[in-house]
Amino acid sequence: MRYRKDKCAVKIAILAVLSIALLLLTGCWNNRDLTEINMVTALGVDRSEDGKVLVTVQVVEPAAIQSTASGKGKGGGAQAKPVFVESYEGETVFDALRSMLSIVDKKLFLSTTQVLILGERLSKNGINEVLDFFQRYHEVEYKMDVLVARDVTPKDILKMETDIDPIPAVYIKGTIENTVSRAKAKRTMLLDLIKDMENRGRQLAIGQVTKAGEKEVRTEGTAVFSDGKLAGWLDPYETRGYLFAAGKVESTIVNIPADNGKISMEIMQSKGKVNAEFENGEPAMLSVQVELEANVGEYEAKGKLDSPDDLHRLEGILGEEVKREIRVALDRAQKDYSSDIFGFGTQVHKYHPEYWKKVKDDWNDTFSKLPVDIKVDARIGRTGVIKGPIKKDG
Amino acid sequence: MGDKDMFGKTRKRNRMVKQNADIDNLCDDTYEPIPQTIEAVKARLNEVFSECSDFMHREIVCGEDGSIRMLVAYINGFIDKRVLNQDVVRPILDYFSNTKLNDKKNPIYEQLKECVVNNNDMKEAENLQQAVDNIVSGEALLFIDGEDRALVIGVKAPQGRQVAEPDTEVSIRGAREGFVENLLTNTTLIRKRIKNQNLKLEMMQLGEQTKTDICICYIKGIANEEIVKEVRDRLKKIKIDAILDSGYIEQFIADSRLSLFPTVGNSEKCDKLAGKLLEGRVAIFCDGTPYVLTAPYLFIESLQASDDYYDHAFFATFMRLLRLLALLISNILPGMYVALVGFHHTVIPFKLMITLAASRQGIPFSPFTEAVLMIVAFELLREAGVRMPRPIGQSLSIVGAIVLGEASVAAGISSNLMVIIVAITAVCSFVVPPLIRATMLLRFVFLAAANFLGFLGISFVFVTVFIHLCRLRSFGVPYMAPFSPLTASDLKDSMVVVPIWAMVTRPRILRQENTKGAAGVKRQEVHLKR
Repeated sequence: MRYRKDKCAVKIAILAVLSIALLLLTGCWNNRDLTEINMVTALGVDRSEDGKVLVTVQVVEPAAIQSTASGKGKGGGAQAKPVFVESYEGETVFDALRSMLSIVDKKLFLSTTQVLILGERLSKNGINEVLDFFQRYHEVEYKMDVLVARDVTPKDILKMETDIDPIPAVYIKGTIENTVSRAKAKRTMLLDLIKDMENRGRQLAIGQVTKAGEKEVRTEGTAVFSDGKLAGWLDPYETRGYLFAAGKVESTIVNIPADNGKISMEIMQSKGKVNAEFENGEPAMLSVQVELEANVGEYEAKGKLDSPDDLHRLEGILGEEVKREIRVALDRAQKDYSSDIFGFGTQVHKYHPEYWKKVKDDWNDTFSKLPVDIKVDARIGRTGVIKGPIKKDG
Repeated sequence: MGDKDMFGKTRKRNRMVKQNADIDNLCDDTYEPIPQTIEAVKARLNEVFSECSDFMHREIVCGEDGSIRMLVAYINGFIDKRVLNQDVVRPILDYFSNTKLNDKKNPIYEQLKECVVNNNDMKEAENLQQAVDNIVSGEALLFIDGEDRALVIGVKAPQGRQVAEPDTEVSIRGAREGFVENLLTNTTLIRKRIKNQNLKLEMMQLGEQTKTDICICYIKGIANEEIVKEVRDRLKKIKIDAILDSGYIEQFIADSRLSLFPTVGNSEKCDKLAGKLLEGRVAIFCDGTPYVLTAPYLFIESLQASDDYYDHAFFATFMRLLRLLALLISNILPGMYVALVGFHHTVIPFKLMITLAASRQGIPFSPFTEAVLMIVAFELLREAGVRMPRPIGQSLSIVGAIVLGEASVAAGISSNLMVIIVAITAVCSFVVPPLIRATMLLRFVFLAAANFLGFLGISFVFVTVFIHLCRLRSFGVPYMAPFSPLTASDLKDSMVVVPIWAMVTRPRILRQENTKGAAGVKRQEVHLKR
């Protein structure tokens, strides 16, 4: 009996040691209080002239946010600033972030990052290298929005104080959401970026951010990349053409000239599909098919909306307008930047893998030279509360 | 293992106590006969009850020549004197005033028993020990000169308070009657609800010194005989000086003595107990306490309330789920908070994180310390509220609300959010009363684990507790039944409550047939086989 008891005790001891080891060897566990971290809301990454990486962080001060939100100032005196911005230069992103600890008080915590702004110089040199850190580091939020700063450095954007939201990063994120619902910018989350980074069949296209005033930013337009390097920009309308083709329009307003006036059509639903058509084992033509449904949002013209025929006529005009936008975007991508941001290459890869193997390294050239057939099928669903414009003379 | 060692020690201690008691006990010779003469009886009783100021005796002398002599002995206050006089003393005086002693045909003893004493509740005491036992249990003893037997006449005065609504278990719907301290009143209350000869009430006495009446109650034909036998055996094994409350018994007969979770239930409500009996459970009444024990007690019973069966089933189901949620919250919420704030910043939504960080700003303690402080403060308040006289309770709650809620935040000792969390935890812990004590301690375990390892620690403790629960048995019935082992037909009264008209079968898990085996041999290892 005594012997059995001892054996049992030994077993229990082994089990205890094993389970403690099991618990302690699971990774880097450290208990860090929320008050011991600097919550980074926005990150800016740019390259300096001598090739180093310049990282800018925007860090939120929660207490200051709370007091501005509840309207409780700390009894006179200067109101604490809700955010602070710091920059640091390093060999790599990681190096810069760690070196920055010499000038800030607490550890930088990256999971709260709302936006990542890439500098123009960095983009032109290629972004793939710096993105490695964002895949490797465990505290990175994959859903943060990525933007490319145009005509301005990331640091200047992050330093900007705005009256709209106490945290500039939240303000920027809000404008992206708005612009996306207007289909004037492509929303790129870090996750999308990482997915398409090495995809030769679809080039990167990232939303752009510029300064709109002393205290405002504008997030419209798209930065087009070619093999990880910034190739050029699409303006808001070209961006929408691109988004129509890529099938990423959620809603937007398309203005069409008709009936001796202007009509604003609200796109409610839009599906876009790209394809490459093959003949004799070679791609002969690229095709874009868009189906969309729209409502009449505003009718500032002198016609009628009473019969289905009127609507069919408008559907035709709308289709042509959208087609034109897509055409412009395609021309830019093919002729100016020679970058297949639409993802025709992915289709080729999917349906003609043998051919793809041959051309994948210079697909962009092939893409640039192919003719494109665009088909738009527009349908108008509703005309709003009223049918035709109300006439004064009955 | 540990259990058995503990058990052994307890036994030993009790045995020693018993020996000491025997030295004190004046009537250690169990078979001492009752002396034949009244004088000897009187002398012996006075010796036994020396310094017992409440012991009373009266000599009755009657018969034509004063030759019939009797002695009435009782404990003052314990019996109803008016009943004693009317039913016993007066008939004796009336009947025997003209009788001669030497009526050999019909001895006085038989006459007394059969046609003189008006009381129905009569027994015989054959030796002095029995007589003394009966006197101290509140019976009146009638000794007759020349007899070595004595009549035990039940004229116990009703003691204790009236049947009232229990304070601890309040239900919105259902009977307001609660048990009282008097054992007979309690068994009557149950008999009133279950008018059936199969309702069995087995009496026994426990406690070397107190000789407390215990009653095992079950419905023959519904309750599992094995379980009844097991209850009986476990009760018989109890050797203790005093049983002052059913809680004493509970601790002795519980399957796992060190477990935080109750394996014996208790209730103060008559309708609830009747329900348990009808499901096939065994009740243990204990004189002197309104809390009646029920066994076996399963985990799911903690989440059941008598209202569930009186009300609409949908509502009852919702309440069950709510109680389960409350149980979870009251256990792990503070731990979750500490884990979130300390380890898993990445899963907190951005806006919540700002709020959290802002509320934590300037707090000098770590979240763990803060949580422990606040919870301990709450438990102190709660305990004080229980112990202090009722009228002061109100001022306590004011102090508690101000100190805990307002001042500690204003002083920067704790964060707003922690106050909310402790408050929610406290509210939730009262939703499942049977598990309040287990929850109270587990909360700290979860907190410590969360502070040490974050969510990993919480899941570790959770799994450990769960394994423990699945391993636990109550009188041979798996504690987590009907979930583990899964008993499909018993699920009708678990998380989901079906309407009462659809509950057509009794709980199966309590009525496993063919239960022969280890039952009663080793109480720790009773396994009811399927």
